[in-house]
Amino acid sequence: MKKRFALLAAACLCMAVSMTSFAADKTDIVVAMDADVDTLHPTDFSTTVELGVLNQIYDTLLYYSPDGTKDPEPRIAESYEISDDGLDYTFHLRDDVTFHDGTPVTADDVVFSIELYKASEYQGSQISMLSSVEATDEHTVVCHLDAPYSPFLQGICSPMIASKAYYESSEDDFVNNPIGSGPYKFVSRAKGSNIKLEANEDYYRGAPEIKEVTFEVIPDSSTKAIALQTGEVNFAEIDSATKPQLEANPAITIAEVPTSSFSYIAMNTEKEPFDDARVRQAINYAIDRDNLVAVCYDGEAEVNSNICAKERFGYSDDQFQYTYDPEKAKELLAEAGIETPYDLGEILVAEKYSNLATVIQNDLKAVGLDVTISVKEFNSYISDLQNGSYGITALNMTLEGDTQTLEMAFTSDYIGIANNARYSDEEMDKLFGQARTETDNDKRAEVFNEIFTKAQDEAIYAVMCNPMTLYAYNSDLTCPEFVLEGNYYLYDFSWAE
Amino acid sequence: MTKYVIKRILYMIPVLLGVAFLVFTILSLTPGDPGSIILGITAKPEDIAALNAEFGYDKPFLIRFFNYIGDIIFHFSLGTSYQSRGPVMADIMSRFPNTLMLAILSMAVSSIIGISLGIFSAVRQYSVMDHVCVVVAMIFASIPGFWFGLMLLLLFALKLGWLPSFGASSLKHFILPTLTVSLTSAAGLLRLTRSAMLETIRQEYIRTAKAKGASEKRIIWKHALRNALLPVVTTLGGGFGASLGGAIIAETVFAMPGMGTLITTAIRQKDIPMVMGATLFLAVLFSFVILLVDVLYAFIDPRIKAKYQNGGKSRG
Amino acid sequence: MAETTQTLRSAGAARGRKKNSQAKEIWRRYRKNKAAVLGLVILIFILGIALFADLIVPYSKCIEQVGADRLQGPSLAHFFGTDEYGRDLFARVVHGSRFSLFIGVATSLMALVFGAILGASAGYFGGVVDNVICRIIDVFACVPPILLSLAVVAALGTNLRNLIIAITVSCIPGNVRLIRSLVLTVAEQDYVEAARSYGTSTPRILFRYVLPNAMGPIIVNTTMSISDMILSAAGLSFIGMGIQPPSPEWGALLSNAQTYLFTAPYMLVFPGIFIILSSLAFNLVGDGLTDALDPKLKD
Repeated sequence: MKKRFALLAAACLCMAVSMTSFAADKTDIVVAMDADVDTLHPTDFSTTVELGVLNQIYDTLLYYSPDGTKDPEPRIAESYEISDDGLDYTFHLRDDVTFHDGTPVTADDVVFSIELYKASEYQGSQISMLSSVEATDEHTVVCHLDAPYSPFLQGICSPMIASKAYYESSEDDFVNNPIGSGPYKFVSRAKGSNIKLEANEDYYRGAPEIKEVTFEVIPDSSTKAIALQTGEVNFAEIDSATKPQLEANPAITIAEVPTSSFSYIAMNTEKEPFDDARVRQAINYAIDRDNLVAVCYDGEAEVNSNICAKERFGYSDDQFQYTYDPEKAKELLAEAGIETPYDLGEILVAEKYSNLATVIQNDLKAVGLDVTISVKEFNSYISDLQNGSYGITALNMTLEGDTQTLEMAFTSDYIGIANNARYSDEEMDKLFGQARTETDNDKRAEVFNEIFTKAQDEAIYAVMCNPMTLYAYNSDLTCPEFVLEGNYYLYDFSWAE
Repeated sequence: MTKYVIKRILYMIPVLLGVAFLVFTILSLTPGDPGSIILGITAKPEDIAALNAEFGYDKPFLIRFFNYIGDIIFHFSLGTSYQSRGPVMADIMSRFPNTLMLAILSMAVSSIIGISLGIFSAVRQYSVMDHVCVVVAMIFASIPGFWFGLMLLLLFALKLGWLPSFGASSLKHFILPTLTVSLTSAAGLLRLTRSAMLETIRQEYIRTAKAKGASEKRIIWKHALRNALLPVVTTLGGGFGASLGGAIIAETVFAMPGMGTLITTAIRQKDIPMVMGATLFLAVLFSFVILLVDVLYAFIDPRIKAKYQNGGKSRG
Repeated sequence: MAETTQTLRSAGAARGRKKNSQAKEIWRRYRKNKAAVLGLVILIFILGIALFADLIVPYSKCIEQVGADRLQGPSLAHFFGTDEYGRDLFARVVHGSRFSLFIGVATSLMALVFGAILGASAGYFGGVVDNVICRIIDVFACVPPILLSLAVVAALGTNLRNLIIAITVSCIPGNVRLIRSLVLTVAEQDYVEAARSYGTSTPRILFRYVLPNAMGPIIVNTTMSISDMILSAAGLSFIGMGIQPPSPEWGALLSNAQTYLFTAPYMLVFPGIFIILSSLAFNLVGDGLTDALDPKLKD
């Protein structure tokens, strides 16, 4: 046994082994995926892993930086116009874009792709406000809306443009042997194992520097960390727990990328005692967010009690931040007439977030609130969540895109969906309605300011932090700066000379 | 004999139907529906309902079950996966070779280790080496598989850099997973071989052989071993099932695309057609392995063969 | 009538004496196997830890989170170090013994009870009963045990009770088959025939004569299965289907530690040692009992 320990210790100490240095002519890259992709269908996919692969194969009309601060960059559309009433979006397409099979990308393909996207149960809700789309000539596409919707431009940057003719010739090939117009061509896929891509030399923005790409499925975080260190993998999203080890290795560079996803406690406002704002405020004060971030995210998350990430449009430092104050929490509980120790019942969590619950349980106990942890498999968790059969639950949610998507957490239309507080308030619904149609950015920011101030005042949720995405990659690899959400495009990567 | 084999194959049908019903029932008891699992927390109810209807999941339990069985019988199809929306059989066939390879390699290695050390231990009963063999095998049997796998990974992939840390693209990739599965399961075979050997050594005919002045080596190899291996062979069929269990853990640690990880993910995602298809596939395989072992057994042991031919009860 | 009672009583006394000397004989043979004795010592040590866990360190210590003490290596304040929550790992390992041993013992005993009832009925009654039971068992045995456990946990949810049910279900088939074949052998013996001819009731024959005489292999099998069950529970924890936090089950400690493989390897070492030791102890004791309880191996 002792020997085994020594062996382990030795293995751990000696891990700063230098890796094989890469020749300047290295042109391939191995990227690790957390899970296998279920599909490579350009609209009927559901995971970020799938998006990560599809982003390399397909192109979109425009590229919209997720933090919403910059103007969209042209891709297949070289320019666009929005009508004064905000109902018509006209896109002018480049005429030199071709699919991987050599056929040109036409307005018909774009209309087909947008319609396919809108009809998809998987992705369609992102452009649900679109009423129709038409091709006015071979290089012009117009999208019509029923009512002005200011974040539409961001939504329309999501559909991947696929070939209509290819879809009509074989739906099977369309999914299993995808053809896009992006910088990489699909080569092969071994289910459960890997996906291989090769450079599209005819790419209209110029051929990519990295010629061969392999996505390898490696679900276990330790195995992935080992593969990064041995050089078997060049680029991977990593678990925060393995960061110190990888960081210590000079051959590996780590990038910390902020995300808008938020970890939070949802309290069912339809149930006692969570219908009392003072109880919700007390819970907000009771959580030591710094400690929670240290424990559950190894420090790799930004403490934020506001549901709106700091990088997002509409966030302001003026919006109230809850800080750790157990005394204040106790006072508020007393005010609400709660005699401690008080039994809050079960805190419901999916297995993945049981660590959040463990910390929360401890913090709540310190202010006299007892909870027992009920861990469920994700599938039974999600059905409980939809039914509202919980008092309190902890989870992480991603509502990417325009800040408008946060309406899903607050408006009454989304009770039983993403509004886990089951919060119903006419004024809140009205405010989000205003933000939806307002086209003036300053005025929109004001509306959002009102929304988040209200959310914080009433302590509708107890948001804890925005976890970061961590990328670890070979130090010889040159990557552009990652922006909010951390979507990456291998086209922008290159090996150092 | 042929009659017996046919009878056994026919008998598989009700067993497999039973397996199908058992697994289908358990899975249907799991809360949640595939639509909301795939689309996630932020999905709209109408999208979820549409997806469930597309899968036929909106129909009642028994109808879904009979549809599924009907598909197998009339269309020879194991159905379409909820997750990948492709044929289940394609997913199985892309992973099964890896699992089969791992199971065969692991069984081979653990048999070689277990049986040879078992014989060695039995022949040298109560010697120091006997104790060492038994205790070392027991220690390996007591190590949690994933823990052992991680240690191997640290040593051979990270520290020494001799072997790859993930994947299944070459024989080299199978070394560490095979070691993980086989070393932790060799102890059972060792114990079994040892006690079977001890028992046969004590039998009358061995004593007779000894009395007749046959050399000890000859006795062990010619007489004892053959008889001792009989009970060992019967457990190999079951061992196949066990090495599959070990394979699930090894596949997870070594990121090897196999049946184990396929089924575990499918169970979590409530991908019923996938779990059903993969489980039935394994059950068929498993039944044939057991049948093969029984037939093999009959060939090795003439007593049993006679029993089959007399139409006696098949298995005790 | 009175006379019969008298004879039975003295027979009982004789049996008592016989039992006593039998136990001595078993112990004598058991002692010969040094490894088995070592196993017994380890087992007693670990059972002692589980029994006196509260005296060694209070339970509150193993759920108390001290943020400032996160991921500390072993020291005098924390013998086994602390985990990412700042909880004392020594306390967690000590109290974890209760959960792990409980899971191992409870599942093995439950599987034994079900195995005994089903296996004995199948073996003893034969005919239709045997057929029905065997066919059901065939179905269960066709599904790899770990998958059966996974599916059951997925259906019922993850907690201690469901984990025990899941593991038990997966090992009932093996037990039924073992006990059935043992009963088949014993039921053909003369003394059972004799009891049957006296008109002794069936359950009485089963529990009085048949099962006790098949006890040797059953005890061995159950002892060794405890070790398997502890490992199964750890394996399920590793795939993420263990018991709910903050309960300190060893497998959960280990799979949690796996995340910190590089930064805090000690987290992997101590629970690992205890799992291996306890599993080894049950294996060694079971192995020792095999020889000690087998009347054929008397010499």
